[in-house]
Amino acid sequence: MTNAGPGAAGSFLIMSATVTRPPLAVVLVALVMLALGETAGAAMSRLKPAIQRYAAARVAANPAAHGFSGSPEYDDEVRERAIFTAEAGLSFFHLHGEGVGLVLFFASTLVAARVPRRRARGVLYLLLVSGGLFPLGYLAYGTAALELGRDAGIELAERWILAPLGVSAIAGLAGLWLALARRRA
Amino acid sequence: MTSGDAPTWKVPPRWVLLVAVLSIVAAEVGGGAMARYKVELTRWARAGMQARPEVHGLVGVRDVDERILDEALVKFDAGLRLFHMHAEGMGLVIIATSMVAATVIPSPAASRAIIALLTAGGAGYPVGYLVWSALIPSYGLERAKALAEWLVWVPFGSATIVALWCLVGLVAWSMLARRRA
Repeated sequence: MTNAGPGAAGSFLIMSATVTRPPLAVVLVALVMLALGETAGAAMSRLKPAIQRYAAARVAANPAAHGFSGSPEYDDEVRERAIFTAEAGLSFFHLHGEGVGLVLFFASTLVAARVPRRRARGVLYLLLVSGGLFPLGYLAYGTAALELGRDAGIELAERWILAPLGVSAIAGLAGLWLALARRRA
Repeated sequence: MTSGDAPTWKVPPRWVLLVAVLSIVAAEVGGGAMARYKVELTRWARAGMQARPEVHGLVGVRDVDERILDEALVKFDAGLRLFHMHAEGMGLVIIATSMVAATVIPSPAASRAIIALLTAGGAGYPVGYLVWSALIPSYGLERAKALAEWLVWVPFGSATIVALWCLVGLVAWSMLARRRA
């Protein structure tokens, strides 16, 4: 790859001595997502009982949101499902934080290296960085399930955080694909 | 922006890339081996557990023992799957983060230290899942997990987390320094 920077003309790549990098702000978001993902993984393992206790306390503090009926069997089942959802949110956050952090890192490096127009690069960085924040939606997913009730919490996180940020990531990647396809043509 | 003024990545040291690629290769081989030798691996783990009934709380009643063995085998399999998944992911994390460290950190000593922590932590941590699985037949679920945790996950995982947050701080510092300059 003779990577001669975003403005260079070249029909194909072989090997690179220098690969252009994206702005540090983009790199920082990718790194923060990776670091948060790692830290969440450690917290899931080392602080599991404390997280479960916290989740149970938040469910108990919001009985109306969870539709408690006063029947111990039913309420226990509702509580367990809400705690499971909160833990699943943290687990998804760990998984997506690591994965999306890497996607943002490598996709933005491709944008820096292969998209020649400054404005197009700016738009793609914006879309990719917004998409890079997608894992935070799973933190909201877990928290909202405890505070608003399982179904209402999941609905809120999916509609207002996960869907828009996910669409942004998809749009950024699709834009990158189009930019790469245009260069080849 | 032209090639002359565009900021570029620096490639991390070769040994770092070799370790990262080795981690990815090990993950791929592990994934393939899990599928190809699933029956043999399960048989090996089951035989190991049956040879140490006191470790696993086996009582000699088939209904009770089968449930205990099944639970342990699920965890044994989970350990192998988690090794496969984490080794692939951490190989890529090593490449990405060591590139950032090599490029952004101005002090060679700090750069070397962070790259060493990221590489050792990233490559070592997934091995903990293999250790966990391998120890389950001999030590039981809880003891195997405690051993893997203190021998591998805590030291290597902590190294990665500390190095990553240091890198985040240094990148943020570098951004501020460039803005001031």
